[in-house]
Parts: sequence; C-alpha cells; structure tokens
Amino acid sequence: MTTVAGVRPRGRVAARGWPRPRIKTLDVIATLWLILLLAFALIPMLWMLSTSLKGQFAALAQPPEWIPSHPTLDQYQTLLSPTGTVGPVFLRYFLNSMIVSLTTTALGVLIAIPAAYAFSRFQFPGRDVLFFAVLVRNMFPVVVFLIPLFILMRALHLVNTHWSLILTYMTFGLPLSIWLLKGFYDNIPEELERAARIDGASRFKAFWLIIMPLSSPGIIATAIYAFIGAWNEYVYALTFLNSESLLTLPVGLQHFFTEFATNWPGLMAAAFIMSVPVVVMFMLLQKQFVQALTEGAVKA
Amino acid sequence: MSRHRTDYLWVAPALLVMLLVIGYPFVYTIDLSFYDTPPSSANWYFNGVNNYTQILSDPFFWAVTLNTAFWSVGSTVLAFLIGLGAALVIQREFVGRSLVRGLLMIPYVISYVAAAYVWRWLYHSDYGLISGVLYDAYIIDAPINFLDSTSNVMPSLIIANVWKEFPFAMIMLLAGLQTVPQQLLNAARVDGANAWNRFWHVTVPTLRGVIIITSILLFVGNLNSFGLVWIMTGGGPANASQIWITEVYTLAFQSLQYGRASAYSVILFIVMLALGYFYVRALTSGSRNREARG
Repeated sequence: MTTVAGVRPRGRVAARGWPRPRIKTLDVIATLWLILLLAFALIPMLWMLSTSLKGQFAALAQPPEWIPSHPTLDQYQTLLSPTGTVGPVFLRYFLNSMIVSLTTTALGVLIAIPAAYAFSRFQFPGRDVLFFAVLVRNMFPVVVFLIPLFILMRALHLVNTHWSLILTYMTFGLPLSIWLLKGFYDNIPEELERAARIDGASRFKAFWLIIMPLSSPGIIATAIYAFIGAWNEYVYALTFLNSESLLTLPVGLQHFFTEFATNWPGLMAAAFIMSVPVVVMFMLLQKQFVQALTEGAVKA
Repeated sequence: MSRHRTDYLWVAPALLVMLLVIGYPFVYTIDLSFYDTPPSSANWYFNGVNNYTQILSDPFFWAVTLNTAFWSVGSTVLAFLIGLGAALVIQREFVGRSLVRGLLMIPYVISYVAAAYVWRWLYHSDYGLISGVLYDAYIIDAPINFLDSTSNVMPSLIIANVWKEFPFAMIMLLAGLQTVPQQLLNAARVDGANAWNRFWHVTVPTLRGVIIITSILLFVGNLNSFGLVWIMTGGGPANASQIWITEVYTLAFQSLQYGRASAYSVILFIVMLALGYFYVRALTSGSRNREARG
C-alpha cells in the first residue's frame, strides 16, 4: 500500500497545510530506527548462519569474513549424517527433543482445553485466580522447584526418563495455556452454545460440536507456545537427565561444546539446526502466536 | 449443587497435576528451608531459621543481590524502551510490515541456549565479530574483553539478554497500541497537540495496563533467567556475574546444600512477591488518582 515514508493519515494532514518538512523528519527517523532494530535483531542470527558455513580455520579469520569466501556444508553433513561419531549422537538429541516437546504439547493442550473452557464459562472466581497463578508461577524461581521436583521424580521413579521432563514442562505451561485459551473462549459468543443447548445438546456436546471447531486457531496458537517452551527448556533437562542417550538438544549442545571446544562452525550449525523448527513454526503461524501472547494482557 | 460438582470435573485434571508438580514442591521447599542438610550425610535435621540468618548475614549474599538488581533493572528498562520504540515504528503502516515484525521476533523464539552460544561467539576476545569489526574500523586498538572482565561482564550479558527479550515487550506494547482509540488521537491533533503530547497524554494513559503487565513479566523473567548467564559465564569471572538464580543452582547442585538453597529460594520468592505487589499497587492507585482528577 504505502511505504514507510508515506503513512496514510499523515498524508491527509499534510494536505491540510501542516509543515511538510517536520513530518518527513519523523519518517526518516522511523526508517533509520527500523533499520537499526533489524540489524540488532538479525546480525547475530546471520552471523550464526555465516559461521556455520565456514571451515574451522576460516571461522577464525581476522578481520572476520561476513560472507564465507569458501562456503561449505561440511558441518551440517557431519551433524546430520547417521553414520560417523557426531551425527548419530546429534540426531538422537534432536529426536529426544521432538519426543519430549510433542508429547508435552499434546498432553498440555488436552488438559488445558476443558479447564480454560470452565474458567471462561462457569461460575468460578476464575480470572483473578488464574492470572494470579500465571504470575506466581512466573515469580517463583524456576530453579527453586528443581530440588523438590527432583526428589519427587525420584520417588516416582521418573528421574532420568523423558516423563520427568514431560510432566514438568506440561504442568509449568498449564497456567499460561489455560489463560491463553480462556481468552479465545471469551471471544466466542455464549449465545451459540445456548442455542445448541435449547435444541437439546448436552453441555459437553455443545462444547465439542460448536466451541471446539471455532476455537481451533486458539488451540493451535497455544500448542505452538507450549511446543516452543518445551523445545527450548534447559534447566530441568540439565538436572533430570543424565544418560547421554536421553539428552535433549539444549543440554546436548553443551556436551557438544565441551567436547569440541574450538569447533565454532560446528556449534553454530548445531544452534542453527536447533533454531529452525521453532523459527519456521513461528513464521508460519505468526498471527496466532502474537494473538495468543497478547490476548490476556491487552484485555486485563 | 450437583451441577457445580460436575463443573469441577472440567478443571480437575489441570488442578491435580498443578497440585502435584507446583503445589507440593512449593510447600516442600518452605519445609526444607528450615532443615540442615549436610551433603555428606542422609541425616537432615531441623534447625529453625538458621539457614535464613546465615544467608542474610553473609556479605556475599548482598554482593550477589547487587548484581541481580543491576541485571534485572538494566535488562528490564532497556528491553522495555527498545521494545516500545520498536512497537511505535511497527505500528505505522508500511509495505512488509508483518514480515519485519516476524524478523524482529526471531530472537525471542529461539532458545536461550542457542542465544548464549551465539553471543559468546560474538563476544569472543580473539576471534569475535564485535571486537574484530571495531578493531578493523580503528575504533579500538586491542580486542575488548567482554566476558572475562569483571567490569564488562554484566553490561555484556545485559545486551545479549535485551537482544533476546525486547521482541516480547514489542509485541505486547504493539497489541496495546492497537487499542488506543484513533478518534482520541485525532481529537488531540485537532486541538493542536504535537506528536509527543499525543503520545504522553493519550497513548501512555491508555496503555497503562499493558505497560504494567509487560514490565512485571519482563522483570520477573529476568530475575528467573538462568540459561543465558549460566552458559555464557557460569556466574564468573570471580562471581562478577553471579545472580540469585545461578547462586541458588550452585548451592543446590554443586555444593549440594539443599536446605540452604531452599531458604535462599524462599527469600527470593518473598522479594519477588513484595516487589510485584507494591509495583501493581503503586501503578493502579496512580491511575485512579489521575482518573479522579481528570
């Protein structure tokens, strides 16, 4: 439609005889600021990618090469080849991360949906309690739960299994998931269910046939959020797992680093591969993700 | 009454796991904080508030507290301001706006672990991009020690952290900005208010709620931010970047002093709760006064 330099309402104001140069100045500042922000956000990511495409010696060149003069996919081949010494280990980490994150997401959403619906529709002291739970969960230092949870997981014989992580991630994600989903249910007019109930549908049937389909964008958004949280988590994975074959990527990356201390291109390639699923998922579903994240805050 | 009982079935699964995984550890931590738990023996015994008095009388605790304050306040203020600046510019209509918003959010969605390694590499004293570029441009004549210097380590960590979380402030505030009534802004403009006055007297008061929530979430997020500091410096050099959260982890899982670490956690929790409470109260009563006056 328009460019940065031509914001719509301003064009009209200018026509009414406002001093043009001042408006232009604001546009120029805005454009420069935007370029600066993009550089700040993207240079580290591009540097990650650029380094991962270099050989080990090229990566240490001074002055630094912005674009590799001899790009190579060696690092990716080493990491992703199912044979060799590094590949199988890295692929195992990747698979572990997938298993943990997908299970966490599926179970978390399954439990959050009915709770969110209840908070949205039934006579609970809902919203305040829930928001308080979200805040308190965030406020209590995550590391603090480590000791008692470790002891609890040991009692349940879950230490050094993926279930210890799944149970923890799922539960820690619940307050926020419920809060996000509740926001979506609040936006669905209650008249829709009332009509269905008058036509003889049970509460559950009305929920299942009317509300579920309408809230699927919200469910997807909540699921992405849960997935990204589980995929990126570090502290609990660091503490609960000790078998090499069970490690998830964030912790595995550390092993990779300590074993190959000087291999920066390899480490950057691993970090890049680890970032791809979440960035792709986010880019595809940006709108829902942003909506989910901001829904509660804007209305509160 | 019976109808209400079935209502609770909808929330029962969520409540059950939350009681088990959040409620139980919460109580257990408080309980454990009153015990002496020598790492060498299985004999844990009750010793009252000893853990608490020991922590609070230790000068090291106060040094760590100072680091934590610097880290949390610095990160929150910078992330908030940059996020606000980003939101204000993204809010304008231009071609490729949603692409730009997406690109700016990439640091937020990637993991702290990946972020920590990238920034370690950017800060590398011999081969890092930042030192290299500055040296190349004759701005510095020796590489900067970002992470191995006790005076540089905190600002360096804060910048990496702000990079990671400013997008969060951006989208929260962006969502808030979209609720500011356009008629109100137009009316202010007709009345002769300039861009700054429109921002300060119309936009900011409308955004008050979002501003409160965004800054609280940023602040508690920073107090709890473990991975970035742990991977980039491990609290070093010479404890210069040791913050509460890394200190609790060190106490619990390296010194194996569960009781003391639990007491530490409870202190942090009380501090956070108090900060959150007073902060919310101060800001909400401020807005009430304004409404009463205006």
